[in-house]
Amino acid sequence: MTNKKIVYRPISREIEELAREHGNDSESALELLKEIQSHHSALTTASVTDAARALKLPPHQLYGMATFYSMLSLEERKKILRVCDGPVCWLKRASGQSSVNSGQLVNEWKDKVDCEFSVERTSCLGLCDRAPAVLVEDEQAGPVEANEAEKICEGWRGVPTDYSEVRKGEVRVMTALIGKIDPDSIDDALANGVYDGLKSALLGDPEAVLAEVESSGLQGRGGAGFPVGRKWRFVASEKRTPRYIICNADESEPLIFKDRVLMDTNPHQLVEGMTIAGYACGASEAWIYIRGEYEYQARRLEHAIEQAKSKNLLGENIFGTGFSFDIHVHRGAGAYICGEETALIESLEGKRGEPRLRPPYPPTYGFRGQPTAVNNVESFCAVPHIVKHGAEWWRNLTGSSTPGTKVYMALGHVKKPGLFEAPFGLTLREIIEEFGGGMPPGSQFNFALCGGAAGTIVNESLLDTPIDFSSSQKGISLGAGSFLICDQSVSPVAFLRELLHFFAAESCGKCTPCRVGTWRSLEILNRMAEGNGQKGDVDELKTLANLMQDSSFCGLGQSVAIPMKSVLTHFDAEFGKAEGN
Amino acid sequence: MAVNIKINGQPIQAEAGKTVLQVAKEHDVHIPTLCYHKDLNPTGNCRMCIVEVKGGRFLQAACVTPIWEGMEIETSSEKVMKDRKLTLELMLANHPVDCMTCDVAGECELQDLAYEYQAKVPAWGAKGTRYKVDSDPNPFIRVDMNKCILCRRCESACAEIQGRNVWGVAKRGFEEVIVAGAGVPMLEARCESCGQCVAYCPTGALSNKMNYGMGRAHQVTKVTTTCSYCGVGCQFDLLVKNNKVIGVASNPNAPVNGMALCVKGRYGYDYIHHPDRVVKPRVRRYLLEERGKTKEDGGWDWIDVEWDVALNIVAKKFMEIRGNFGADSIGLLTSAKCLNEENYLMNKLARQVIGTNNIDHCARL
Repeated sequence: MTNKKIVYRPISREIEELAREHGNDSESALELLKEIQSHHSALTTASVTDAARALKLPPHQLYGMATFYSMLSLEERKKILRVCDGPVCWLKRASGQSSVNSGQLVNEWKDKVDCEFSVERTSCLGLCDRAPAVLVEDEQAGPVEANEAEKICEGWRGVPTDYSEVRKGEVRVMTALIGKIDPDSIDDALANGVYDGLKSALLGDPEAVLAEVESSGLQGRGGAGFPVGRKWRFVASEKRTPRYIICNADESEPLIFKDRVLMDTNPHQLVEGMTIAGYACGASEAWIYIRGEYEYQARRLEHAIEQAKSKNLLGENIFGTGFSFDIHVHRGAGAYICGEETALIESLEGKRGEPRLRPPYPPTYGFRGQPTAVNNVESFCAVPHIVKHGAEWWRNLTGSSTPGTKVYMALGHVKKPGLFEAPFGLTLREIIEEFGGGMPPGSQFNFALCGGAAGTIVNESLLDTPIDFSSSQKGISLGAGSFLICDQSVSPVAFLRELLHFFAAESCGKCTPCRVGTWRSLEILNRMAEGNGQKGDVDELKTLANLMQDSSFCGLGQSVAIPMKSVLTHFDAEFGKAEGN
Repeated sequence: MAVNIKINGQPIQAEAGKTVLQVAKEHDVHIPTLCYHKDLNPTGNCRMCIVEVKGGRFLQAACVTPIWEGMEIETSSEKVMKDRKLTLELMLANHPVDCMTCDVAGECELQDLAYEYQAKVPAWGAKGTRYKVDSDPNPFIRVDMNKCILCRRCESACAEIQGRNVWGVAKRGFEEVIVAGAGVPMLEARCESCGQCVAYCPTGALSNKMNYGMGRAHQVTKVTTTCSYCGVGCQFDLLVKNNKVIGVASNPNAPVNGMALCVKGRYGYDYIHHPDRVVKPRVRRYLLEERGKTKEDGGWDWIDVEWDVALNIVAKKFMEIRGNFGADSIGLLTSAKCLNEENYLMNKLARQVIGTNNIDHCARL
């Protein structure tokens, strides 16, 4: 019995230097790992250990992160081309053929691109309006098929979708300045009334702003619809300081890209909304947690923040009111779960993005254990308008029980897919016919995925139900406001397989029902979609869906059951057929 | 402050801030647990302790859910029992079916729960094929991640009790796995082989290497004893089979140390039956017979004797030294392996019998 002799190895100079640039701050772990990776072709056991030692953290913590976030890798890579493996891109590619699996997809691309790229699959890139999409290093590109790979190698990246044209029936509030201003120019923004909300907010006291937002009835736009004002009230009424504001821009759910468009077209609106939130909650520091795939948008935000600081709209003693506020941009590294607010906070603190126990909720125990308001990009974007025009005006924008307007996304088999803003209470039929321009010739409505990947899958029976945050009780959810319309060519079985493919890839693994449940469901659905269903498969799927819904640790696992259960209800016959009955 | 709750219809008054599990335990209501351990911070990972709370949309993990006024809890409703059984089956699907040959059968918490819920091993799943068996070269701890159910007790035990932070979680989703450090052998990840992770592991994923295959829970007799290595006074159970000590197990009721032990206490027991162990007093042969003090003359050999003979020789020598050179030419050094009482007696022997203040203790070095 011998004990191995451990030889002391000093930390590599380079990593020590990098860590020092971050002040050896343990919260900078994710950035540090990304920097090390960008300087070399991959992370290694030694570099991860060194980084951990430099930050005085246990090596397992950084290794856990390096293997958790999909943008970090311990395998040698060249320049990286990430091919979107999300359900919307799948639908675009599949049109007709339903069995393009991710292995085939990556190989197809590998064959087509020259050797300077390493090709990887990635869960939804948030470029659903540019599907099928790819990410070339940090440049977003699409729509592009594998056989057009040459163009990508030549530097072509496609054209970003233009939303400057207003659709019939739209009520534009948050999207009003799309195409009307240069998003990188603060002068343009100021000339068009951005920051007016902040100016009028700062004239009153924080309580007045809080009361206005409360009475506006603004509900969180991330999908759950929690009242924004009430959340802020919780934070503001906590005695402990500092308090923090966090913007959730981790938009990683398939079908959703509204936050990207909002940040891309009018970044100052978000900066303004967050600053007002800071004023109302008594916070002086804020973070925008933006997903790593949105590098372009992250840079735009950083630029906007710099500009705002130069005009004293941000920073120390804004307009001489004594109120100081600073916003930082923090990039994620590829994990859907980090859109869950407590997982996001964990990730921001330099850990694996695993959800925390709740309660306590972030308003009492959030970032660094302090009171924290976490809101979605769209929620913050609505705030300046409420402050500027008043809660009354906001409530009158809509006839629905949910006040205000919502940014919707229509995708799939509609003539004019894309993003638009309208009051709450639209029906699916209105979304397809009036805003989406109807379905293409020859297409018949089969089903729609409503809300986002974790939304309900409905058939034509719910086409005329008005949709808002309360309609999920009737079986149709609003979620984050995206609607994927599928015609008769799309098999609900294959489609559910794609969704589970996403959830299984993105489950964090913390709790048993989600970790094994998503994996097992995918295994069953893979078989069923390939025509090898077995008797009992549908029952097992139902049982697994119930288990995940009831017993999972966090919202991710609980919501996997929503599309599963709804599609199993509405498309009983198709699933029965796939089972081989 | 007390709050009023109901567990399975029974009204209970309990202290606010306690968890459902704590209150249930105090009132003899059984809730199964797996990732929970009373010594460790609860994480709510495994979802075995889920209970139904009236008005709640989801089932709640009893180990982490605090009670509130008017809370009504069902600990064994149909839904709860069904979900627990299914969760168990999801674990069993990826766990090797080798209880017949597994070292921890009989004290495995997963096995006990599978029995309690009559959970069947599903036909699907990875079973025991995903990782190398006995994958770590640590001389004391046997690692078989195929048996791991990702409860993360090892991670908590290492961080919270031993403070070494060896174990952690890598990858995500179904691929998730427990690793030491940055995916390195345990000893390279600062492991000091205390075996706390083994003691807290509910399955056979982490077990003891030295006695692997030598006996299972029902085949051994547990003898509670105090560790003889140092003065802390840790208690543990010696595992005795056929009159031989085959291992050491933590005794949760040990007053000083609880489940914690160090590498010496937990794994330093092989001297007990070692052939080189000195079990009787020994003296050099020249002290017994007239011989020269050299190897050649045979006077240097060790001879086993009775205690009386050995002690008489020592006493005689001490008296001679004291007579010739004075009491202060003698010094006594006592041992951490002695009891406090024994150390006290050595003190008396030095100061009162021999008459010197030259007494010291090895723990001072």
